[in-house]
Amino acid sequence: MSTIEQLSTKRIESGNPIITVWRRLKRIPTAVVAWVIISVMVAMAIASLLGVPLTPYSFDQTSTTLLADPSWQHLMGTDELGRDLFTRVIYGSRLSISIGITTAFVALVIGTIYGATAGYCEGKVDSLLMRGVDIAYSLPDLLVMILVGVLVGRGTQGILFALALVSWMGTARLVRAQFMQLKHEEFIEAARACGQPVFPLICKHFLPNAMGPIIVALTFIVPSAILSESTLSFIGLGLSPPACSWGTLAADGWRSLRTHPHLILFPSLFIFLTVLSFNFLGDGLRDALDPRTRLKK
Amino acid sequence: MLLLILKRIVWAIPVLFIVATISFGLMRIVPGGPFDEEKSLPPEIIANIKAKYHLDKPIPEQYIIYMSRLVKGDMGVSYKYVNRTVNDILGDAFPVSLQLGLLGLALAIVIGVPLGTIAAVNRGSKLDFLSMLVATVGISIPGFVTGALLILVFGLWLKLAPVALWESFRHMLLPALTLSLSPAAYLARLTRASVLEVMEKDYVRTARSKGLSSSKTIVKHVLRNALVPVLTVLGPLTAIIITGSFVVEYMYAIPGMGRFFITAVSNRDYDLIMATTLVFAVLLVIANTIVDVLYTVLDPRMQVKG
Repeated sequence: MSTIEQLSTKRIESGNPIITVWRRLKRIPTAVVAWVIISVMVAMAIASLLGVPLTPYSFDQTSTTLLADPSWQHLMGTDELGRDLFTRVIYGSRLSISIGITTAFVALVIGTIYGATAGYCEGKVDSLLMRGVDIAYSLPDLLVMILVGVLVGRGTQGILFALALVSWMGTARLVRAQFMQLKHEEFIEAARACGQPVFPLICKHFLPNAMGPIIVALTFIVPSAILSESTLSFIGLGLSPPACSWGTLAADGWRSLRTHPHLILFPSLFIFLTVLSFNFLGDGLRDALDPRTRLKK
Repeated sequence: MLLLILKRIVWAIPVLFIVATISFGLMRIVPGGPFDEEKSLPPEIIANIKAKYHLDKPIPEQYIIYMSRLVKGDMGVSYKYVNRTVNDILGDAFPVSLQLGLLGLALAIVIGVPLGTIAAVNRGSKLDFLSMLVATVGISIPGFVTGALLILVFGLWLKLAPVALWESFRHMLLPALTLSLSPAAYLARLTRASVLEVMEKDYVRTARSKGLSSSKTIVKHVLRNALVPVLTVLGPLTAIIITGSFVVEYMYAIPGMGRFFITAVSNRDYDLIMATTLVFAVLLVIANTIVDVLYTVLDPRMQVKG
């Protein structure tokens, strides 16, 4: 690539970093499709939360056609109480998606504080903090969540607590690594030499520069939280009715797999599509934020 | 090397001690117990049962009793499966889960490593895109969905394999396949990254420029080196397999550790929960020890440091 070309790319790429990342993300087809699917899912969840009737049925509507196969009347069929499955899946999206997003947010807060402390202090504090993370990180998430579930109960709050407990460690590691790298950058040294106190230094200079990888990591926490919740609910150690998430719907459907497979297939499809989209979006964001791919296209 | 293994074993003891203590603590903080049934029993009977299992003693004393038994290898009794000791139950369940886990792991390697290698070798091509699409689908699909689909298609419609129980090799096919898909996808992504890295190394270019054929270079030079980081994820892989076994054993009604763990948790069968947790911890410690040993075997540079 010639220097002129490089310069012209640079000019396009300068400006608001969010717009830059967005422009690069738009070049990745899988990420765009993923973004559209996620937007539709989130919009559906929010709309149902606000009471917009997306289907002609209500959540507890009991029709006379029990366990109907999918048809134009009931797009995904009905369950054993005659409830329209599509309506239930939309209701389920509220809980599943909000669990995913809440977990990511909690992981962001705890992980950033923990990782920032370790990365900024270095030395003994760092090795003590990170040793704890190493051990906890090697435990299987689901095992920890089940054991914690015994203690705190299996309601929505219990699940959220268990999810938060296992989700922040990846973020903490990442933030720590970012901080350690940033610490030796010249602009940080300059800011410190100017007498910038620690807290503003972290907020103004460290965090904005560490944000890219953190956002990528968060994008991967959402799908894994949705997966964990639905798996737990599926094996009967997570949410249970009347709570309605995609996991509890799948657990309901599992019992009638042999006779009415549509009851497990549709909620599963929604879990799968959402998780897949978040994974593709995460991959796309990582590529879009990676400085190594910056000048390639 | 022997010293390293010994060191690891010595290290494992406090780790397992902590796991045992934490799980004991957890089980005792929890309100309610294994004998809280819907139909309440007369107080005398409850007192008798509690006395039999030492549940009437103060918690520190219970802890000492538990630990002293544990040191002797006695993991207690099940409160729900009457007259069965935990050792007895786990003795039956562990081999089943071990078989399932090893088979799942083997399948994951057989599927994942070639998939990742093919993707890396054809970097940027349609084949690469397709392989990584398959791998991303693999990590995005919950175990119970794969299980339900496999049961539906191969078990109920095509009737190729039985869908439940654990009696013959045919019974193992669908569960092992269900278990293997998510670790296979994980391995595929990892192998691709690792192979890509090795392919840029000087010694690979040397081998190619000396006239070694493309396939021979990949098998002899690239894969050999690229598989080192892949082997070292045995720890996380074991964790994935353990987690997967909960779902798989639940779905296929397999009498293994995962299923006993789930029923023990919903029954509050304290000793059984603690014992299964401890066995999982031992498995993870073993997996991580094997990784450390493998590291020194595969990468002699590590020995100098250790």
